[in-house]
Amino acid sequence: MKADPIVDPHAFIQQRDLLAELVEIIIPTTDTPGAKAAGVHDYIIKVMMNCREPRAQSKFINGLEDLNAYSLDNYGKTFLKCTINEKTAILNHSEAHSEYKNRLINKISNKLLGRPFFTTLKDLTVQGYCTSELGATQGLAYDYIPGAYRACIPILKHQKSWATK
Amino acid sequence: MYISDKSKLINTYDAIVIGSGISGGWAAMELCKKGLKTLLLERGRDVKHLIDYPTANLRPWDFKFGLNNTLTDIQQDPVQHAAYDPGNKHFFVSDHDHPYIQTKPFSWLRGYQVGGRSLTWGRQCYRLSDLDFEANKKEGIAVDWPIRYKDIAPWYSYAESHIGVSGQKENLSQLPDGEFLPPMELNCIEKHLATFLKENVQDRLLTIARVANLTRGWDNRGVCQNRNLCSRGCPFGGYFSSNSSTIPTAMATGNLTLRPFSVVSEILFDEHKQKAKGVRVIDTVTQEVIEFYSKIVFVNASTIATTGILLNSVSDRFPNGFGNGSGELGHNLMDHHSSAGAFGTHPEYTDMYYKGRRPAGFLIPRYRNLKDNENLNFTRGYNIQGHGERQEWMDKNPAGFGKDFKQQLTTPGPWAIWMAGWGECLPYYNNQVTLDKFQKDKWGQPLVNIDFSFEDNENKMMKDIESTSGEMLEKSGFQNIDTFIYNRPGGSTIHEMGTARMGRDPKTSVLNEFNQMHEAKNVFITDGSCMTSSGCQNPSLTYMALTARASNFAAEQLKRGQI
Repeated sequence: MKADPIVDPHAFIQQRDLLAELVEIIIPTTDTPGAKAAGVHDYIIKVMMNCREPRAQSKFINGLEDLNAYSLDNYGKTFLKCTINEKTAILNHSEAHSEYKNRLINKISNKLLGRPFFTTLKDLTVQGYCTSELGATQGLAYDYIPGAYRACIPILKHQKSWATK
Repeated sequence: MYISDKSKLINTYDAIVIGSGISGGWAAMELCKKGLKTLLLERGRDVKHLIDYPTANLRPWDFKFGLNNTLTDIQQDPVQHAAYDPGNKHFFVSDHDHPYIQTKPFSWLRGYQVGGRSLTWGRQCYRLSDLDFEANKKEGIAVDWPIRYKDIAPWYSYAESHIGVSGQKENLSQLPDGEFLPPMELNCIEKHLATFLKENVQDRLLTIARVANLTRGWDNRGVCQNRNLCSRGCPFGGYFSSNSSTIPTAMATGNLTLRPFSVVSEILFDEHKQKAKGVRVIDTVTQEVIEFYSKIVFVNASTIATTGILLNSVSDRFPNGFGNGSGELGHNLMDHHSSAGAFGTHPEYTDMYYKGRRPAGFLIPRYRNLKDNENLNFTRGYNIQGHGERQEWMDKNPAGFGKDFKQQLTTPGPWAIWMAGWGECLPYYNNQVTLDKFQKDKWGQPLVNIDFSFEDNENKMMKDIESTSGEMLEKSGFQNIDTFIYNRPGGSTIHEMGTARMGRDPKTSVLNEFNQMHEAKNVFITDGSCMTSSGCQNPSLTYMALTARASNFAAEQLKRGQI
């Protein structure tokens, strides 16, 4: 089998602004920082380039391009130029077409075709955010050196999840 | 190679220990304490406690790619990468540099450095019992263990008292209590399952894991800080490793010489005295071949590597491997299976949480085949190991995106329990380690070939684990229950055992009741290769106890001029 070529790093860099917008829509700024401020778009580019198979890299780049193509077809402008409602509609479409309801079919499809673009994007956004300094310490609760283990304690109001296990 | 008398003198010790992992560290400490000048050989680099733990204090965002392994890691280390992450990668070997042959898939997970896998071990400490020591004889399987619980019990106490094991006494015959530091605490959902079992199921209980994590200061080491980053090396010395404990103690006696970068190619046999005279070593820095001599040799290179060295040590007396008159050397390889279990979430206790990352789960001690007539379709048994927690960001996958998604992602989810059975594997003659005749590693040593599979008994046991663990969760009110059998390949539990078993008869075993080689009385093997059966308990504590016992015996024999 011929090895897939590694995707040109520029292909990722060119999509940096689009990616920053996407991660921020997935995990927006609220009373805590969002994914863009946490640098999740740069995290995704680094992880895609260094830790994922060339096939997954291509699939991801294609996914970003498809998203823009869909945006042009349906709204007559690129994703970045869309309103927030339009962007949300596009991502809803992307999510709805990313996975099959049937778990088995999903599994087979992932195996044959690779994981869908939106699933990869969302997973990496979550992972990047929750392991970033802003995400872990402000979006979640980070306990660097716990000391004692307190096994059963009442949950606090507005309790955040622990960032690490 | 010519060696002058003078250099021979320089290269001579009372004892040589091959391998500095959990059992080698113990052998070195015990022999040094007995006043023996001891050479501890390690094939990998040195790892000094505290100093050589470069990732120990790093936070998730300090890693370049988070906790993802790189594509290069995945390609170069097809086996090891599944067990490591960037936090502890440096304590695993490179598959590329240290190849082996898999006749059937077998994950041989290794750590070639001072301390070996004692740096990354799971720290679970469970005693075997007579249920285990008597099983082979009772069932006519393989050979009888040459020892019983009473022979090893005081040495379990000795080992536990040194390493520091936290745990709860439960007064069970199949899982004897030990010398324990205060137990760690079960959380809400674990207590829920414990209470359910206590009130509803006979012969089953749930107890906190017994682990070599310190719940108070011990052995000049600090209390566990509940960071759950043990496998990076602990800056507090909160868990036992060769590096944090036995090697520094051995060093303090003034009797230890530690020699890293030393691959042992073979054990040298003295035809005249019918004993080992020493070992041949390849210095991996200088490529020099050096011989070291000693009165006794302890082989603690880890099960498969130990057997590789013995098979490679051929002489007129031992054409089929050192001490292999029985023909059993390399055979009867075992590994626990830990593929089957169940997962579920629980709707209650939503107002409760925890603080800290307890580096240990719970244990449901063995509850199958405790009596003779249980009419199950398999023999032996398993214990259940698991942990309870609330679902966090890595466990849940809320639908959608945006503000509500973020809210769900960053707040604690339902309580959940994951648990699986650690099951006994029978010793099958056909599960074996051999040396390849043609393929060699970069030091010219033959590659090890591993031919292992789980058989009918293990597969039936996995089915039983799946059904009993699912049932326990269901009956105690869990939801979204998912039972599983992962079918992970042998080696995955990292409990390789057997291949140079203990036994009563030199015709059918390699070692006697003191881990002493039947056919070369000054060679002792006290790593996992000595195991006659596997039990279902995590085995490291047994290796430590057997090592202390054998070291004591060897030193006594030496003093009396018997070896």
